Amino acid sequence: MSQINRLSRGGRIDRSQPLSFSFNGQTYQGYAGDTLAAALLANGVDVVGRSFKYSRPRGIVAAGCEEPNAVLQIGSTEAATIPNVRATQQALYAGLTASSVNGWPSVNTDLMGILGKVGGGMMPPGFYYKTFMYPQNLWLTYEKYIRKAAGLGRAPKENDPDSYDYMNQHCDVLVVGGGAAGLAAALAAGRSGARVILADEQEEFGGHLLDSRETLDGKPASEWVAKVLAELAGMAEVTLLPRATVHGYHDHNFLTIHERRTDHLGETAPLGQVRQRLHRVRATRVVLATGAHERPLVYSNNDVPGNMLAGAVSTYVRRYGVAPGKRLVLSTTNDYAYRVALDWLEAGLQVVAIADARPNPKGAWVEEARAKGVRIMTGSAVIEARGSKRVSAACVARIDAKAHKVTSSGDWLDCDLVASSGGYSPVVHLASHLGGRPVWREDILAFVPGEGFQQRVCAGAVNGVFALGDVLTDGFEAGVKAATETGFKPVSGELPKVFGRHEEPSIALFQVPHDKSTARAPKQFVDQQNDVTAAGIELATREGFESVEHVKRYTALGFGTDQGKLGNINGLAIAARSMGISITQMGTTMFRPNYTPVSFGAVAGRNCGALFDPVRYTALHSWHLKNGAEFEDVGQWKRPWYFPKRGEDMHAAVGRECKAVRDSVGILDASTLGKIDIQGPDAREFLNRVYTNAWTKLDVGKARYGLMCKEDGMVFDDGVTACLADNHFVMTTTTGGAARVMQWLEIYQQTEWPELKVYFTSVTDHWATMTLSGPNSRKLLAEVTDIDLGKDAFPFMTWKEGLVGGVPARVFRISFTGELSYEVNVQADYAMGVLEKIVAAGKKYNLTPYGTETMHVLRAEKGFIIVGQETDGSVTPDDLNMGWCVGRTKPFSWIGWRGMNRQDCMRENRKQLVGLKPVNPDKVLPEGAQLVFDPKQPVPMSMVGHVTSSYFSTSMGYSFALALVKGGLKRMGERVFAPLADGTLIEAEIVSSVFLDPKGDRQNI
Amino acid sequence: MSTVNVYKQRPDAAHAESPLFHAGLHELAGKGKSTAGVVLREKKLLGHLTLRGDGHDAAFAGAVHKITGLELPGALGLVVKGETSLQWLGPDEWLLIVPGGTEFAIEQKLREALVGQHYQAVNVSGGQTIVELSGPKVRELLMKSTSYDVHPRNFPVGKAVGTVFAKSQLVIRHTGEDTWELVVRRSFADYIWLWLQDASAEYGLAIEA
Repeated sequence: MSQINRLSRGGRIDRSQPLSFSFNGQTYQGYAGDTLAAALLANGVDVVGRSFKYSRPRGIVAAGCEEPNAVLQIGSTEAATIPNVRATQQALYAGLTASSVNGWPSVNTDLMGILGKVGGGMMPPGFYYKTFMYPQNLWLTYEKYIRKAAGLGRAPKENDPDSYDYMNQHCDVLVVGGGAAGLAAALAAGRSGARVILADEQEEFGGHLLDSRETLDGKPASEWVAKVLAELAGMAEVTLLPRATVHGYHDHNFLTIHERRTDHLGETAPLGQVRQRLHRVRATRVVLATGAHERPLVYSNNDVPGNMLAGAVSTYVRRYGVAPGKRLVLSTTNDYAYRVALDWLEAGLQVVAIADARPNPKGAWVEEARAKGVRIMTGSAVIEARGSKRVSAACVARIDAKAHKVTSSGDWLDCDLVASSGGYSPVVHLASHLGGRPVWREDILAFVPGEGFQQRVCAGAVNGVFALGDVLTDGFEAGVKAATETGFKPVSGELPKVFGRHEEPSIALFQVPHDKSTARAPKQFVDQQNDVTAAGIELATREGFESVEHVKRYTALGFGTDQGKLGNINGLAIAARSMGISITQMGTTMFRPNYTPVSFGAVAGRNCGALFDPVRYTALHSWHLKNGAEFEDVGQWKRPWYFPKRGEDMHAAVGRECKAVRDSVGILDASTLGKIDIQGPDAREFLNRVYTNAWTKLDVGKARYGLMCKEDGMVFDDGVTACLADNHFVMTTTTGGAARVMQWLEIYQQTEWPELKVYFTSVTDHWATMTLSGPNSRKLLAEVTDIDLGKDAFPFMTWKEGLVGGVPARVFRISFTGELSYEVNVQADYAMGVLEKIVAAGKKYNLTPYGTETMHVLRAEKGFIIVGQETDGSVTPDDLNMGWCVGRTKPFSWIGWRGMNRQDCMRENRKQLVGLKPVNPDKVLPEGAQLVFDPKQPVPMSMVGHVTSSYFSTSMGYSFALALVKGGLKRMGERVFAPLADGTLIEAEIVSSVFLDPKGDRQNI
Repeated sequence: MSTVNVYKQRPDAAHAESPLFHAGLHELAGKGKSTAGVVLREKKLLGHLTLRGDGHDAAFAGAVHKITGLELPGALGLVVKGETSLQWLGPDEWLLIVPGGTEFAIEQKLREALVGQHYQAVNVSGGQTIVELSGPKVRELLMKSTSYDVHPRNFPVGKAVGTVFAKSQLVIRHTGEDTWELVVRRSFADYIWLWLQDASAEYGLAIEA
């Protein structure tokens, strides 16, 4: 239980707050302020996982988001579990439960490890594809085991109890990265009064300053960080977002930030708190101060636990008080990495040697180390590490980096930690998300952001500016520039003084040469997460994969959670060398969002569960609930589908509801129909032009059914429109078509006929509509209204005003069932009271609530179409046998007239709406069933149409359907056949689409 | 007057259910934390009239002013006087909100004043409601809900915007430093109510009757 690698002092951890956690079932202790990675290292946990392909033991390499190996499954329960968390980015909390995502059955004894060792040489890139591809149908079987043995984390099996959300942010300046450059930029922009957001992915702002040996104004750099943060926190317009990764840079300076608000507190969020938040930021200017990632060197067995990034070793020592070993060998190409040796010495540990690839290094850091008596082996590098689950020795040899050759025999040094540094790669990801390709700078051996078309400024290390003093200046100037460009006054400020150290240029070294050829040397890993080796990359180029994008896809270089943050530059440098071209010629792969993984919770935000999609309710919804309705989704509306009584299935309920309407009276909530109030002296002419039929002669007090077509002559909506006064109409539309009809009217008025004086306003939500339908509807309504309902006083297709249930109502005598019907419209606020009065009065008439299914059956019996069911955008009014609804003599060319007179719309044998009566009256045709005339023809058969609506009619006692059939109107009495998927056949007779009461005697009483 | 049907739609006395009636807000009132960051109140059963006309026509603007006492606001404008407010909804469209029950009389007066002009006045009182949000955390709540910039530099008091809200749309009105109103369509009211509860959970939500 002891933290064997914990230093006795130092670090930013709180030693008064020990925290217990578990990893792979074992309990350990760490401190508040640790990352999980720091705590694992403190406890001497060397192996955190097994590699993807070869199943080699792997340890922690880095201290930030670039970590390729310590990718863990976190959470003690199914509901709380999250896959693929970088241990280097996960703050330690009490009770944290983590496990390796791979290594089956366990990381220390791994079946795949045997395969990896024995078969390693036989597992080149593309191994799985090449080996398991044939026979193809077995791939599924192989895949299951391979994924289990290799794979990364697994998705949770239970619902996440936490809530996630979005925050829409707008700012003048978004500063990405809270290191030296970012803090200086935020300070400059904030002081100018601009709205600033400063986002940083770590637990604390400060970045590299938190573990730097350098001083600012002679004091530890972290003191300056604290001072700046205090000033920023005091600015009203500055928003500080720690634990917030800017993961995507999208068009028009739209950036997304993944903020982990409570992941440092526990595996689920404290009650009421939001666990993670996706900030959607629209920034006028962006300052990218994303810093740089150190590049590791690629040498043999560089993946054995105990091989780490040099800078990461410094971070663990200085920030967390953890020394991940005792005896250090450092292999470097640059001056800056020497600080690791100094930190190591200061911690009281042994620096075995520094291998510097440069022949004669003399920079300030170098001299400081030399002065302390550290053994510096110049012109040399670690060419191979030894060890199985932990480094035990490193071989240092003299090399010729340019010629890629080892020039001396190796010297094996006993050690337990090899730190390497091949230079620093600016984090150009965000700068490149929108396609600006990074540019290689030979002077600093790094890619820097290329031309950007966005309103952005890069500052600090991402810009290739590395010396601390320069970084601060660069950051501050970027902040001033961004703020002034958004209209704020420039500010000046004193920046802290930095003790400058002279640094010499580093040397270009990516893959370290070995005395054996790349193919024969022990594996030199480029991308540890994907098990991509230098040999694999060479092989890929030899096999003809020359484009960097192809190399990536063939070898898997740069895939996975780390997206090649450590490996990509080394990989493309190796590919370039292998092909004898320059790094510039090789180029980089495309950088795409997201920079680091974003959880699905954050992507979904609040839009899940009940809030997944808006649900619209009518004013009568609670009555439907009380009366046991089953609901149907119609667009976003919840409409009662049917009202089953105890023990009834849908078939029985619909049969009963239909019978009640045909025999006595039923009531339907029709509130969802679209309703548009139309006023203006040209309202009537406007209707003439948008409907297919004529409106000139519709008197005040009357209502008429209308069809609407698109320009192509195809039906797109229908409904009844009533004339309320000379210049005043109310139009009804289909439920689903309400919004698009409203837009349609506005578009035509505003763009085509602005000279027509007419205005439209949606009143869909204002009016609640209750339809009383059935032979007893008149008697029932008479009991609750003062309107004269007499046959002559209130005839079919007219409307009246009056009180219904004591509430002012507009009542329309129109019918969608073929029965005597009244549609009662009242202001929605009062609908419930009216409904209750009608229902009370309706008891003696067996008033039966019915839903959309019964409505559909009843209207189909009458041959009434439903737009979107009988029509599909390819059906003209004539196809529907509704030529009676086309005003062929209207003077102005109305919408659809020209379209429906095209040759194709006029031809014979178009599909036409007919009724179908199955020969077996109990067989219900499936809706959508394809129809043929000759069922004996060979497959594929010539199809002649399809079933659009199909039901069993309780009133008529047989099944029936509506269908579109080629030339159907001329084929009355003929047979069609529906060959079904199950091999059966339903035979039906073509009949009129009007099954019930063709003369309308039932509705005209 | 015969060219348009003007109809008194609100009964003098009848059981009324506003769009958020089913939420039982009156029962929730006073039960939230006193330190709630968001306070919600439904300003229910008011008179809502949609007006459409030519705002550049002095006769139209003059008539509206004569009856309401309010100047026709320009783009994204909202003017409030006592319990009456007039809000720009579009280049030829305004929302007039008046005390509940007065909308019929006001529509009649408007029509008298506008006689001979081309315009539209429509009673939409049953179709929408006002949700008033106040408290120190309302701005954050709105930021979660809409992509429109609600910072006072962009959205000062007296501005009103029809915009996206969660996965729906509504009108946001800034009526006081920490006070905002949402004009919510009846059929979407339940969705918005659920959304507001969920999104304000971390700040604490209190209901005012």
